Amino acid sequence: MTLPLGDRQPAKGRFDAIVVGGGPAGLSAACTLADGGSRVCVIERGDWPGSKNMMGGLIFAQPTSKVVPEFWKRGPVERPVTRRELWITTGDAAFKGAYESTDFGVEPYNAFTVFRSRFDKWLAGEARAKGAVILTETLVEDLLWDGERVAGVRTGRSEGDLEADVVIIAEGANSFLTEKAGLCQGAESGSLALAVKEVLALPKEKIEDRFSLEDGAGAAYEIIGEITDGIPGTGFIYTNKDTVSIGVGVILKDMVNRAGAAYNLLERFKAQPQVRRLIAGASPREYTAHLIPEGGYRGMPRLYGDGVLVAGDAASMVNAVFTEGANLALLSGRIAAQTVLRASEFGTFGCETLSYYGGLLEDSLIMKDLKQYKNVMPLLSSHLHFFGLYPEIASAAVKEFLTVDSLSKADKHKLIMKLVRSQRPSRKMIKDLYEAWRAIS
Amino acid sequence: MSEEKKRLPYDDRPWTPPEHNVTAQLGLVKFKPDGTSHLSIKDKQVCGEICRRKFCTHTCPAQVYRWEEEEQSISIAFEGCLECGTCRGGGCPYDNIEMRYPRGGFGVQYRLG
Repeated sequence: MTLPLGDRQPAKGRFDAIVVGGGPAGLSAACTLADGGSRVCVIERGDWPGSKNMMGGLIFAQPTSKVVPEFWKRGPVERPVTRRELWITTGDAAFKGAYESTDFGVEPYNAFTVFRSRFDKWLAGEARAKGAVILTETLVEDLLWDGERVAGVRTGRSEGDLEADVVIIAEGANSFLTEKAGLCQGAESGSLALAVKEVLALPKEKIEDRFSLEDGAGAAYEIIGEITDGIPGTGFIYTNKDTVSIGVGVILKDMVNRAGAAYNLLERFKAQPQVRRLIAGASPREYTAHLIPEGGYRGMPRLYGDGVLVAGDAASMVNAVFTEGANLALLSGRIAAQTVLRASEFGTFGCETLSYYGGLLEDSLIMKDLKQYKNVMPLLSSHLHFFGLYPEIASAAVKEFLTVDSLSKADKHKLIMKLVRSQRPSRKMIKDLYEAWRAIS
Repeated sequence: MSEEKKRLPYDDRPWTPPEHNVTAQLGLVKFKPDGTSHLSIKDKQVCGEICRRKFCTHTCPAQVYRWEEEEQSISIAFEGCLECGTCRGGGCPYDNIEMRYPRGGFGVQYRLG
């Protein structure tokens, strides 16, 4: 069976650079390489770049506009996010913190909600317009080697070997090729999170009413607490033009240990009273699932080898604490491409030349941020009570404080302190606090 | 058995069917199924004799894996796979599922994502 090619060029041939994967990292690399005059081919296994991709829905304007300036004027964005909220839930209660800025609703913006399938398709069009070849419906099955050097890729097409000076692996969370390149030994399951999401249709006016938004503006809510049933993770709700994205992400290892199921958590989340009324009457449009490599700095593979570089999710470039991923992917793809362009000037693509990638990354906010928060995920995984007990204690304390009854405030203070201590000894809480502070400072 | 596997300490309860059925949710997703499965069980004995909880029947967000009591084996509805990689990344704690991607142009096709 022959499949139509995504572009005019034949599958067989030679390129300066091959990029595996049409996501934010791969397409950013392709844009930068094409801009630099490199003959680059992006290989995507889906029918179009984006058709296999999923995320919660936030892209950040500044890093994205470095790759495609003023993308919001031309690209398929949903809503600029003007309000972010963090909720801590227990039982039927929610404790909410919010930040809202009308500044985020005007240029140069801060973040937008997007649908990956639409946005990446558009971004691929931008890359193509710059001169990149986008080869779709093509699975990269293996790497081609010239001795110790990666020399190209073997695709599933007949006569589908493609050679190149360098291969940029931007394959996403499932690290098939990164393993084959000998840069990692299989994903460490302790660092993977599973996210499931539903997109629910809701009329524009209802979205703006329920989320209290200006015309066309958007909201992004992150929710922690009892909704994940004690498993480290978060729920999220993002507003799109006429849909709402709602999902749950949990650390896979902990979910497995407890024989949990992500879709159960999502159902539970949707039934939470404060959530239920936001999505009441909304009709489901799509259900998606994806892995997120949340290992951060500690979960990173080796980032380069002879003739090969790794970028984006494949390189574990996710800041789980701040739900950042796509921006780091875009940035790392760009840096990988800059490394390749520089290597082209030298005419060598060995490990030594490509080590420039490591240096640039070290100086970038990618490594700075990932190093800063490298201890947070291990801490959360070993302190499961951060997601169960503490929200419960905090909620009970606040409820007691806000309930006006016959107790004096002084008695309430005593009662609350007693309640807190009965749940966890003070010295343990101080230790938790110290460890949490250590992990982020 | 190819390699000796021991039951995990947290595999301490028998299998129960999933509480929630994702069939309706999967009905909203577009799939272009290939003729052959990109998923397979490495060693059926592990599912039948060692794994008690049948973890994959709960961890897979698309409920691709079903425990067939009569056959004493896991059936695989690969056509509805969301290709997330959960089964490969720890969703089967016995590492007993072989997951590849479907051939290019096949499998799940997100319209929104």
